[in-house]
Amino acid sequence: MIAIEGLSKSFETARRSSHTALADISLNVAAGEFVSILGPSGCGKSTLLYIVGGFVPPTEGTVAVNGKPVTGPGPDRGPVFQEFALFPWKTVLGNVMYGLLERGMARSKAEERARALIGLVHLKGYEHFYPKELSGGMKQRVAIARTLAYGPSILLMDEPFGALDAHTRTGLQNELLDIWERDRKTVLFVTHSVEEAVFLSDRVVVLTRSPGRIKQTVAIGLSRPRRRAQLLVDRRYQTLVVDIERLMDAPEEAP
Amino acid sequence: MTPRLTSTAGLPPLLACLGLLALWELAARVFQISGLPPAHEALRQLPALLADREALFNIADSVRRMAIGFGLALLLAVPVGLLMGRSRLIAAFFNPLLMIIYPVPKAALMPIIMLWLGVGDASKTLVIFLGVSLPVIYHSYQGARAVEEKMLWSAAAMGMRPLQRLVRIVLPAALPEVFVGIRTGLVLALITMVTSEMIARQAGVGNILFNSLDMALYDTVYAMIVIIGGLGFILDLLFERLRAWLVAWAEPVHQIAVGTS
Ligand SMILES: Nc1ncnc2c1ncn2[C@@H]1O[C@H](COP(=O)(O)OP(=O)(O)OP(=O)(O)O)[C@@H](O)[C@H]1O
Ligand SMILES: [Mg+2]
Repeated sequence: MIAIEGLSKSFETARRSSHTALADISLNVAAGEFVSILGPSGCGKSTLLYIVGGFVPPTEGTVAVNGKPVTGPGPDRGPVFQEFALFPWKTVLGNVMYGLLERGMARSKAEERARALIGLVHLKGYEHFYPKELSGGMKQRVAIARTLAYGPSILLMDEPFGALDAHTRTGLQNELLDIWERDRKTVLFVTHSVEEAVFLSDRVVVLTRSPGRIKQTVAIGLSRPRRRAQLLVDRRYQTLVVDIERLMDAPEEAP
Repeated sequence: MTPRLTSTAGLPPLLACLGLLALWELAARVFQISGLPPAHEALRQLPALLADREALFNIADSVRRMAIGFGLALLLAVPVGLLMGRSRLIAAFFNPLLMIIYPVPKAALMPIIMLWLGVGDASKTLVIFLGVSLPVIYHSYQGARAVEEKMLWSAAAMGMRPLQRLVRIVLPAALPEVFVGIRTGLVLALITMVTSEMIARQAGVGNILFNSLDMALYDTVYAMIVIIGGLGFILDLLFERLRAWLVAWAEPVHQIAVGTS
């Protein structure tokens, strides 16, 4: 589904030499697979998503989606940005409907679908609020709904639950898993939380400190559908979390 | 807006106006200069001026030219500014040109423009157009540059093409800043309108003003100044209403003048 081959990204910094953000990333993500990316701040996680999204060109290497090389953004890949990037002149409803109208859906149908998604992210009653009138966590949920609305088969989620309180966060993790179980989207999910990565994913990719390389890929063999209450007391879940935390703390071998 | 707020919000500006008039009246009585008639004498001319067909025709004529120059400037300046903000190439092309034109007082170009276009509408409209264009280009440029890239990416992921994004994402996102430029442009339109008529006397508010000055009709001169000031005040008030309505969604860029927010 997503084939990443020998990907590197360097930035020309304003002052002096070029700065390598990602080095030699190769990763295959199967259709319907949920893959999380973990790594220290600044290791290039966002950059990797931007390249797969087609927003930023790689310096070296290739990305292909369904066998076709990525040359730009497309509605098959739906991004949820760390910065939300909502349209401030549109209401919650307007934001969530935007992609549907853009894809040519009739207004009444788009509104119906958007309202359903707004309910799903627990924002019923806020349909006519503008982004400036929402909290950070609410904006994040609107951003998720806006992307889910137009039905991309691949989701590129950059710390989508980062600004949420623990309760809303676990609630939305469950919602995301439900959605995923239902339509089996391919998900590339960036997070800082090891628990979250293990809970959600089929595989967890751990990146090294900048420049980001793949340190290790860990398969999460936990059965699905997953229930949070059961997993928390599951020895295999606990072991995976501890192992990955150790892996992240482990010193990096010289390249 | 609650009724209580409106009734008190109008008070400070009213007090400011009355204070200014009182100061003027006082200064005129103290200094006794022929070029500074007391406020009440100038204000007495107002009804006469506003009832005079000739004067009204001149005011309307000025406003018409101003509206045309202002409108044409917006049509050109907003797209140019937005394009500059999103394309380094276009910015590199226009920036030096703007740098050269910006500090030149537009009214100083009037005599030259009159050589090409005569003393009629065309010259005056062109000067107004130039005066309005620059701040609008500048603020549209700044506004477009500040548009968060991820917003454009989000639209691109939905399948929106670049030119569409300029109209449907960059324009609305930059609108609060564009409006800051347009408000400055509005004031400059008024100023260049009067100065252009001062240089190319033929018709208009500036023509009445400066002809009266030549004939030492000082109360008419001051009455005209009051009319121009009032015109500016009303235009700005209408514009702020329009702006508050169009960009209510935005975080406030600047606090608007007291009482109109
Ligand atoms: N436009 C840019 N120009 C120059 N350098 C950049 C640019 N974008 C990112 N970088 C650099 O690339 C590296 C990776 O950035 P990136 O945003 O991908 O990190 P991240 O892993 O997402 O971090 P975080 O977890 O804090 O979000 C950083 O060192 C950053 O300085
Ligand atoms: Mg990031």
